Amino acid sequence: MYLVANIDPTICGATSCTLCTQFCPEANTIQYDLSRKTAFVSVDRCKGCAQCVWVCDNMAKHHAIKMVMIDQLPEEFANKLTKNMSYEQENLKASPINK
Amino acid sequence: MSLDYVKSTPGFEKFMPKDYRDLIDHGPFGKKVSVSQVGTFKEIMEEHPMCAGCAMTLFIRLSLISLPNPEDTIIVGTAGCGRLAISQAAIPFVYGNYGDTNAVASGLKRGLMTRFPDKHKDVVVMAGDGGLADIGFSMLMHSWFRKEKFTTVMLDNEVYGNTGGQESGMTNIGSVLKMAPLGKKFDKIDMPDLAKTAGCAYVAMVVPNNPKRVEQCIKKAVLIAREVGPTYIQAYTSCNIEYAIPTDKVMEDAKNVENDRYQFKEYISDEAKQYLGEKWGYKEYAKKAIQTTEVAK
Ligand SMILES: Cc1ncc(C[n+]2csc(CCOP(=O)(O)OP(=O)(O)O)c2C)c(N)n1
Ligand code: SF4
Ligand code: SF4
Ligand code: SF4
Repeated sequence: MYLVANIDPTICGATSCTLCTQFCPEANTIQYDLSRKTAFVSVDRCKGCAQCVWVCDNMAKHHAIKMVMIDQLPEEFANKLTKNMSYEQENLKASPINK
Repeated sequence: MSLDYVKSTPGFEKFMPKDYRDLIDHGPFGKKVSVSQVGTFKEIMEEHPMCAGCAMTLFIRLSLISLPNPEDTIIVGTAGCGRLAISQAAIPFVYGNYGDTNAVASGLKRGLMTRFPDKHKDVVVMAGDGGLADIGFSMLMHSWFRKEKFTTVMLDNEVYGNTGGQESGMTNIGSVLKMAPLGKKFDKIDMPDLAKTAGCAYVAMVVPNNPKRVEQCIKKAVLIAREVGPTYIQAYTSCNIEYAIPTDKVMEDAKNVENDRYQFKEYISDEAKQYLGEKWGYKEYAKKAIQTTEVAK
């Protein structure tokens, strides 16, 4: 079993922060859901480095990210592992650059 | 090397992998994207085998997002960790032999200037400290002496990471590494100073814990290299394996190193300032702004 990052959408969604998305070393991994205003992790790309946890705790000071075992993810994510990767989702279509 | 290569043949769209379709529909090609929008568009870097939490990976990721025209850019790299990620990006990548990057890039850029006289085609070398400051040193210096118009980015992890921890010219004095057990005996080479002396029009030293700044440096360096002259960026991109940095402390380390030996430094020649001001609308370098700062001195 291995660890991946998991973002609490309630805590993250209450901020207008996008900090961790700029600090994850992996591309296309922490994405931003524009409708819920929360960052989320495409866990199948996450390498488990926990850098985002440090950034959220120490730079953003929001403590919204925890490392969790891949099989302990909230169902919402676990069910949609690969779907999370897609930029074809409605919420991302609203992005200014995707128009 | 144009927008034409980032689209599918009509009728074949549905057979393309999802990542490819995402890249066409939601990628950065032909649009202006910035690091502050990251997470809302498909990036051109794909999955790759570099270590978890590697700061070099983050720096490469930010650099690729920051390229002013990714669809008109070729990256030249070589042996070393960085190419493992750079070669997995939707950008043409040329693998120069270890040490040859700046000679390869010189020929490539001249060829592109001849072939496309009316268009800017950007060439960016991205290689390690060993690749540039040791084995590639002579070709690097000569590309600068000849004022070749491309950007060189040194991914400075202060070690040969890919081959297991030999010292490089950029390793700090006294550092003990797996294959430098007695500690390095000589000082870190002052490459930014050499770059300035050799005639680079733009030189910057950065650390990846400030994404916006990385973006600004890459943009300026690539734009200046189009018409003014060679440009050089040296980035601290720690190797968490060879320097035993816990992956969740990589940004903390970057911050400490930035406060110590990697303070942000930027040099821009007067010609380059004028070029950015006049051609690319950089307000801080517009004629008036430069005059006022001179008076203020
Ligand atoms: C001509 C040649 N000599 C030696 C090598 C072996 N080699 C591959 S990667 C590497 C070290 C790379 O170190 P650096 O350029 O600092 O990049 P890093 O891996 O640290 O990012 C060496 C010596 C090679 N590929 N080609
Ligand atoms: S743990 Fe590392 S790879 Fe995973 S999302 Fe966080 S920063 Fe990215
Ligand atoms: S750093 Fe924390 S609060 Fe900010 S976007 Fe990431 S998870 Fe949300
Ligand atoms: S060996 Fe070091 S520089 Fe290379 S990918 Fe791993 S952490 Fe990064």
